[in-house]
Amino acid sequence: MRDMVFFAALLLYFAAMIVQIVSAALGRQKGCRAACALLSAGLALHTVYSVWRGIAAGRLPLANQFEFASGFAWAIAVLGLILHARLRQTWVLTASIPAAFLVMSYAAFQPMEIRDIMPALRSTWFALHIGSAIFSYAALAIAGGLGAYYLVRLSRGEREDSTAMRQADYMGYRMICLGFLLLTVVILSGAIWAEQAWSKWWSWDPKETWALITWIIYAIYLHQRLRMNWQGRRMALLSLAALVCVLFTFAGVNLLLPGLHSYA
Amino acid sequence: MKKIRAFLRSMTFGMLLLAAVIGFSFAGSMIPQQRPAMEYVSRYGATVGGLIIRLGLDDVFATPVFLLLMAALALNLTLCSVVRVRRLRGSGERLKERARAAQVIAAPGQAQRLDAFLRRRGFCAQAGEGVTVYSKCLFGAYGSFLTHLGLLAVLLAGALALYGGQITDQTVMPGQTLTLPDGTAIEVLSFRIEDETGRLDYASGLRMTDAQGQRSAEALVRVNEPMRFGRYKVYQQTYGTAGTMRLRNAATGGEDTVYLTEPAFLTADGQNGVFFAALYPGYIQDEDGSVTLITSTSGAYADPVYDLRVMAQGQTTPVLAFPGEELTLGDITYIPGEPVSYPGLRIKAIAPGMLGVLYASFVLLIAALTICFFMRPVCVAVRPEGYAIASPKPQLGLQLELEALIREEEQR
Ligand code: HEM
Repeated sequence: MRDMVFFAALLLYFAAMIVQIVSAALGRQKGCRAACALLSAGLALHTVYSVWRGIAAGRLPLANQFEFASGFAWAIAVLGLILHARLRQTWVLTASIPAAFLVMSYAAFQPMEIRDIMPALRSTWFALHIGSAIFSYAALAIAGGLGAYYLVRLSRGEREDSTAMRQADYMGYRMICLGFLLLTVVILSGAIWAEQAWSKWWSWDPKETWALITWIIYAIYLHQRLRMNWQGRRMALLSLAALVCVLFTFAGVNLLLPGLHSYA
Repeated sequence: MKKIRAFLRSMTFGMLLLAAVIGFSFAGSMIPQQRPAMEYVSRYGATVGGLIIRLGLDDVFATPVFLLLMAALALNLTLCSVVRVRRLRGSGERLKERARAAQVIAAPGQAQRLDAFLRRRGFCAQAGEGVTVYSKCLFGAYGSFLTHLGLLAVLLAGALALYGGQITDQTVMPGQTLTLPDGTAIEVLSFRIEDETGRLDYASGLRMTDAQGQRSAEALVRVNEPMRFGRYKVYQQTYGTAGTMRLRNAATGGEDTVYLTEPAFLTADGQNGVFFAALYPGYIQDEDGSVTLITSTSGAYADPVYDLRVMAQGQTTPVLAFPGEELTLGDITYIPGEPVSYPGLRIKAIAPGMLGVLYASFVLLIAALTICFFMRPVCVAVRPEGYAIASPKPQLGLQLELEALIREEEQR
């Protein structure tokens, strides 16, 4: 029954994505409102599912690849809706709904059973480290989504100096600021936790190393934007390339590079 | 010389160094680190494996080039911060000046509306001749300087914490005491693999005493919960399970118990005796009576089985023995006992306060980034004919809000 709630939320995200993409392509405001409602309904079910799972597991439901991916998708939906409520721009939904759906689909392919967590994960740092990670990744995923949206519109002949394009570019930058700050929290809280669990605050474990690579790439993005005044297309491309790094840190490292973080 | 100095503190050099750190990190994550040389040869072949070892790519983060790179990054950050901190003094006033001098966006007769809006947004007004300058978050100009300072502090304190500490790994049987070179003693009072509910919970009961005889309270050391004592921090690192064997000598009446952590030959005369091969955590007995041994477990040993070889008069007989069973060879009786779990402790010696400094640098970096991104300095100069925005950071959000405000009024 619990898993049905998860798949219902996934279905709603899927429906929201289709409605949003079609409505955005046809320029239908009503359709975008329907997509927003579908996303909200999906998020409500997703929240119910996560709370339910957390109660059943007796812990924060963010302890393995499935739970983390589900939390990541949840955070994208939350941030997407907050951003949409503030800006009232439909392109926010066009960028965030597909991201939420894709990450949620990835979660659906992971083993879903609830398992007791390893002693290494029983720490007060767990909530801060993983909680900031899902929101950091979500902000960076939305920035990547905005970058993709920007490039698609550009390829369709939209002018770079139109308000919508400048705003999408700017919001991408702001999302990266938020994601970068939270990624710093993830890395540093992880360092404190590592010192308590493994005695060294930094071990060059593949997960740590890739988080650092990702962090540096976003640092380069911020510098290029601020000092070199890079904007628009170049920044959209860089935010997409950096998102590939985020996704590799999130999933690729677990699949390809075993290390101290292997239990995740 | 001037040009070299300018390059050393330039952002271009900084970005090149960061790109090089990415390169090293990529190599260090793709090539397994600190493995025996043979592993590289068997995995990558003699040529590539040999090259990896010769270039130091098997321990890339310890190579002099990488350490030099980190030192260059620290130097670059220091030089560029020193130059910029001088420019920061008076940056607020300069920003106001920039706003006053900037080209005005036409909004005739909107000064009052703009005033109300900007004050609502927390701007402070400074009225001047024909122009009012509204400013906000001027302190935020220090954000990127503080960020780089935080980063520098993390690099320096982090290097000291990583390389300034001394780490030793030791296994100790419960009931035994480990004495460190400076006379500090670590007494292992107990060890358990599972808690009362059967949940995995590697925990050692420890007590420490320093060379002067000062004793700590008894502490339960778990994964994530190390024990601090003086300059030491003791971690629950690994664990193992040892077999125990009671040896009774009928001729002398003597008795001894040995711990078996690896294969061992227990003999009085060097020829006859019992060879301990392995200890298994349990077994499964099939309907036909045959026994399958369980080879691994992450929990306690539920039904331990000793894999032994009895060696007598040149003959070797394999035997599976359970705790309590007696095997007698001549005068010696061998009695396998219940296995004992023991901890592998990691003992770290580090200067007191070192970690505090490192964590303070973490807090500084996070606070500085928050200032950088969420306290962006901005000034708006409002004149009767319009307004102008000045900020060292992108301010499209504010710009669009002001445009919308003016448009709304015009539409009315
Ligand atoms: C991983 C290393 C670094 C990080 C995380 C970092 C972080 C930052 C951040 C967050 C900002 C503000 C960006 C914004 O507000 O959008 C910034 C600005 C800046 N950074 Fe870095 N930085 C790093 C390395 C460097 C290096 C090596 C240099 C070399 C000189 C440098 C030079 C600058 C400059 C010149 C600015 C603009 C400052 C201003 O206009 O106030 N950064 N940096």
